[in-house]
Amino acid sequence: MSALSAHVLEEIKELPSKYPQPRSAVMPALDLAQEELGHLTPEAMSEVAVALELDPGYVEGVATFYSLFHLEPVGKHRFYVCTNLSCMLRGANEIVDRLKQSIGVTQPNQVSPDLLFSYEEVECLGACEFAPMMRLDHKYHYDLTPETINDVVAQLRKTGLLPTRGEVAPPHSSGGGPQGRRGSAGGEIQAPKKPRATRKKKADG
Amino acid sequence: MAELRGSYGDQPNHILTRWFGTPDLHKLDVYSGKPGGYTALRKALLDMAPADITNEVKTSGLRGRGGAGFATGIKWGFINRDAPGPKYVVVNADESEPGTAKDRYILENSPHMVVEGILIAAYAVGANQAWVYIRGEYDEPYRMLTEAIEEARAKGYVGPQPMGKDFALDIRLYRGHGAYICGEETALLESLEGKRAQPRSRPPFPAVKGAWGRPTLLNNVETLATVPWIINNGGATYAKLGTAKSPGTRLLTVSGNVRKPGVYEVENGKTFRHVIMELAGGPPEGRKLKVFWPGGSSAPVLPESMLDVTTDAEALAAARSMAGSGGVIVMDDTHCVVRAAHRLLKFYAYESCGKCTPCRIGGDWAVRTYERILANEGSQVELDTLQRVSDGLQNGRCLCGLGDSAGWVIDSTLRHFREEYEDHALRHKCNVGAVTANA
Repeated sequence: MSALSAHVLEEIKELPSKYPQPRSAVMPALDLAQEELGHLTPEAMSEVAVALELDPGYVEGVATFYSLFHLEPVGKHRFYVCTNLSCMLRGANEIVDRLKQSIGVTQPNQVSPDLLFSYEEVECLGACEFAPMMRLDHKYHYDLTPETINDVVAQLRKTGLLPTRGEVAPPHSSGGGPQGRRGSAGGEIQAPKKPRATRKKKADG
Repeated sequence: MAELRGSYGDQPNHILTRWFGTPDLHKLDVYSGKPGGYTALRKALLDMAPADITNEVKTSGLRGRGGAGFATGIKWGFINRDAPGPKYVVVNADESEPGTAKDRYILENSPHMVVEGILIAAYAVGANQAWVYIRGEYDEPYRMLTEAIEEARAKGYVGPQPMGKDFALDIRLYRGHGAYICGEETALLESLEGKRAQPRSRPPFPAVKGAWGRPTLLNNVETLATVPWIINNGGATYAKLGTAKSPGTRLLTVSGNVRKPGVYEVENGKTFRHVIMELAGGPPEGRKLKVFWPGGSSAPVLPESMLDVTTDAEALAAARSMAGSGGVIVMDDTHCVVRAAHRLLKFYAYESCGKCTPCRIGGDWAVRTYERILANEGSQVELDTLQRVSDGLQNGRCLCGLGDSAGWVIDSTLRHFREEYEDHALRHKCNVGAVTANA
């Protein structure tokens, strides 16, 4: 039983021919894997490596270098809150505090008890004229205030348990939460035992 | 499309943003209408020899807008157009210098202007294939650029015979995945090749051995977006704008403690007083401007007393700073310089790729030292350590400029705000007061 479904693996195998050299396919391939599983498990990275005829250690080395690849479970909705200088000067730290409260976590990368949310503080997202701002999943949100954070989270709670990607969600989050994104994690979502090292790029060299 | 905050419309010296705000400017038929889109491409392909195009860009004096400010025409000239085998144009759309949003502003408003610039550059240097390396978080610009390229392909501007010319041109996108270092051109190339993004040692330069080992021209989004105007209006006309050594206009992202943050198109040589106090409306009511970063967080800071420095590279160099990416970050007197520097050093330490020891180790040393100072555990030792770490990060000890940038934050804030540092480290107090509690 593989972590990645057959059609995703097929798609991955077609990637290398699209580039002058096949190695360039590694990040688009990891994208597909992450898209299916929510985060990159060791099994998924191995399967990507096999599909691309690369060394698994090499694939993991690439995955750990880039901050948009997640190696731990993430919430169904992911907040990327900019706390770099331009946003910090306009209240980004209050935004983070309110967000933690709103989604019920105490630290970055911790998944909320209902499995719906996690967040991380990120570096400048290039929309400084709208500071403070964040990216939520694949969309930018501008001119944030603690109140808009409450509204956004409330809205997601209302709609966030609707079936996604053709799956049927359980009636309540206690039943295991939104399924289908977890892969081998099998619903055992816990806060990481310790905060992720901030220097993962180097640590995994 | 998001609200426009900054320059748009028919104002004197609006070159890039002249047509911004036109409804549906991102559509090819609108861009090709009154704004005159793709006339420069037609002219370049049908009426000009490739060498003439490069010469026109040389005449314009245009300098790269990514941060280093290298002369664009000269860079184009480095590519041997007659070398056999594939050559590439790689577009740096991995905008991530803190305080910089201008490439996003261009891509969201006028993606065809970028496409047109890319195609002209590719033809000039003899590249049949262009790659746009776009930052992964830029979902909307990615979508808009993808649509623009598809429209251009449907029109035949991208394809085997653009405008009937027998020279195939193709553009493809490659998404970044979150790494500041990819703004550095050789790190970007490593990433494009599917590797960890660690800068290469040079030589060989990308013009000789770039993407996948082939001759490669790397340019920033804003740089290429300027090219159609230069081809339409002539390099000499462009060179008349701005200052002699920094001609033209450029987009300055003004952010932080100002009333009207935005992306402003400014003719080079205006003062920062004009940019910050007039265009961006100055600091909020009742507050005073304290310090600003004139060219992204990597540009050494300037205090309020230097507001009359002008935006051109030469004036900024004379003020011991740099024009960088044009990200103007403004901080008022309710914020603490030491805390701001600490935040930026955390950024540089996190984003260090780890290849060169001074940068890998130095950034962490600086962060730890700042943390001791901010926990009121500082002393003269910490101040000396910061200065020593700053020196160790600078002066070409690393393969790329990331370490230098980290050093400049420490060095320039210490130079201009020594007293604030001493208050923190020696007297264990913050002269800004309660407001810093949120920093």
